[in-house]
Amino acid sequence: MPEKQSWDWGGWLEGIAVPILAVITALLVGAVVIWSVGGNPLVAYKGMLDGAFLKKRAFTETLVATTPYIFLGLAVAFGFKCGLFNIGAEGQFYMGELAAVWVAYNFQAWPAYIHLPAAMLAGIIAGAFWSAIAGYLRGAFGAHEVITTIMLNYVAIYLADFLVGMKGPMRDPRASVPQTRPIANSAILPRLNELPAIMQHPAVRIGWAVVFAISVYFLLKWWFAKRVTSTARKQAYSLIVALLVGVAIFIGLAHLTAIGGPFTDPADRLHLGFFLALLTAVFVWWLLNKTTIGFEVRTVGANPDAAEYAGISIIRNFVVAMGISGALSGLAGAVEVLGLQRMLKSFFAAGYGFDSIAVALLAKNDPFGIIASGFLFGAMRNGADLMELRSGVSKYIIGIVQALVLLFVAAPVIIRWLYRIKGRRGEKIVVTRGWGK
Amino acid sequence: MDFATFIGLLPSILASALRISTPIALAAYSGVLCERAAVINIAIEGMMLVAAMVGDLVMIYTGNIWLGVLGGVLSGGLLGLVHAVFSVSLKTDQIISGTAINIFAAGVTGFAYRRFLAMPSIPRPNPSTLQPIHVPYLDKIPVLGNVLFQSRPILYMMLILTFLIHYMLFYSPWGLRTRAVGEHPEAADTLGISVYKMRYINVILGGLVAGLGGVWFSLEQVGHFDMLMTNGKGFIGLAAMIFGKWTPFGSLFAAFIFGLPEAIQINLSFYFPNIPYQFLSMSPYILTIIVLTGVVGKALPPAADGQPYEKG
Repeated sequence: MPEKQSWDWGGWLEGIAVPILAVITALLVGAVVIWSVGGNPLVAYKGMLDGAFLKKRAFTETLVATTPYIFLGLAVAFGFKCGLFNIGAEGQFYMGELAAVWVAYNFQAWPAYIHLPAAMLAGIIAGAFWSAIAGYLRGAFGAHEVITTIMLNYVAIYLADFLVGMKGPMRDPRASVPQTRPIANSAILPRLNELPAIMQHPAVRIGWAVVFAISVYFLLKWWFAKRVTSTARKQAYSLIVALLVGVAIFIGLAHLTAIGGPFTDPADRLHLGFFLALLTAVFVWWLLNKTTIGFEVRTVGANPDAAEYAGISIIRNFVVAMGISGALSGLAGAVEVLGLQRMLKSFFAAGYGFDSIAVALLAKNDPFGIIASGFLFGAMRNGADLMELRSGVSKYIIGIVQALVLLFVAAPVIIRWLYRIKGRRGEKIVVTRGWGK
Repeated sequence: MDFATFIGLLPSILASALRISTPIALAAYSGVLCERAAVINIAIEGMMLVAAMVGDLVMIYTGNIWLGVLGGVLSGGLLGLVHAVFSVSLKTDQIISGTAINIFAAGVTGFAYRRFLAMPSIPRPNPSTLQPIHVPYLDKIPVLGNVLFQSRPILYMMLILTFLIHYMLFYSPWGLRTRAVGEHPEAADTLGISVYKMRYINVILGGLVAGLGGVWFSLEQVGHFDMLMTNGKGFIGLAAMIFGKWTPFGSLFAAFIFGLPEAIQINLSFYFPNIPYQFLSMSPYILTIIVLTGVVGKALPPAADGQPYEKG
């Protein structure tokens, strides 16, 4: 079949070889650093492995830690696609947390199907607003987003410190430490172990069955579009499969406890946010590659002069790209608050901002690659504590390893030279822009 | 508070502002040195952080505060060398190379802090900050004496560097070459100037100056190293550089402006107990954004800024 494109395995392997070797090399250098301060690298890395995967509940905890990295990695990558460097993911994350928690602990009377989406939407809007400021200032005045987003980070941190801090208006007056009230039950993003109880309501199961059936129906119609010519058969197949899926979901959701594991373990913290992150990666891929918005954003990113010549507004795309980037960061904050923390404590830097840049670059801004690199960073973050406990080596070694990963990915020459991999012409990692252009 | 109290506090506010502007100005000079040779250095924040940490460590282990200053400055220069290797020789995206250095700095200082500094009763020399130097006679001048001539050494060095860099940049062969490399590297290359060598020299010099700014935090201001104590001042310094149109004196002026809100907070918060401190704390950052917004369209960076040079 001549029209079918053959999958370029060689190119794909080459594409992931450099990131993987970059990670391995960074870990090796990290081992040397550990050894040089008198630690045992093997004990340290075994501790990290146990902490990230092998200990009880370690794997689901790694997924919990992965969740914000996926969202924030996607956020940074979306900016890069437009040639914008969003260093402000952390500030937008805080704004998302603040807005989401505010909606979530107020409005106790709202039903869950309104309250939860509203709280998440609040997080999305707050994050998008915070970053769109930087996008607008860049587009309209040329104020470079690298500086404005960092400044907005600090403003967000102080704002959060004021709102939730000692005398802050969002502080729970009954709590002894500065934190907000716990969020309402109607606004929680369920953990897996909360799902069986929720799924006892037939109405909820019917709702999900309908959602899944409709999605499957349209997916199948799209899938059949090129493969089956008869419209009637297309219709019939899709309907039958969608109905079956709907029924299976309706019955299956009632029996989640049979799966066990995170569904029944009361101490397991894995929440639906992780699965939402996976869906969001698919959504971002679709947005970038299959829509006009994505096309314009990528065009401006690749060549702003050509884009402007073609009638694409640079200012608008800077605002749109930054806004979507911040929306993803804000969603990350909302998910952390609604799924994991269930309230907001007074502030300490979570340190996601710079990490998420490394997550995006390690994946070369590919949404599906970000799932993998986010998982890697989540595992390192989750394993770091046990590593420190076992080996006595400070967990900040992770930061050194992450910086090395970033350097090796950004300067593939080193990795290519070390492992004698031949380069492909024209391969280039994202290029940010200087102050003036 | 009444007007007379305010006037009475003015010298104190100006002195605080100049003191606070010291690391911002040094960060800006670091940026000027690098960017005049067309290398964007966003790693100034990380260089300052590492220098602050190394300065404290060296002071503890040698018992000599000035060796601490030297160690910190040199560590900044070393990171400058790293940035030069990546952005000049390997032609890595300069902003990403800088970001990697910043992540590295946060990691390595956190690591070293836990390993060497986070323990009770470390023997530091007493005093563990650089002491003020009174310039004879000049420190008796009414307002100016208080603001300028009773300061600590790194502030003086910052002021001297302002003149020195200005002179070197605009009136010395090195400065001419630097600006040529920054504006039109191909032409400079044709005239026999080594573009790579100039960029290496300038980025390393920039690292040394950033190192001096970092040492200010641990050895002039606080007396020991704290986690993430540079608190974004390196980035504010970059904004000051842009506001100052890539010149030393412009940068100094901008740094002074950025230092004012914190100086006002320090001196006036006592009189306004009802204003939450967070709003004053966030004001320099907001001011930075506003200033960037109003200024960039008019000031032009060096023409080749941020572009790696490919020898033709």
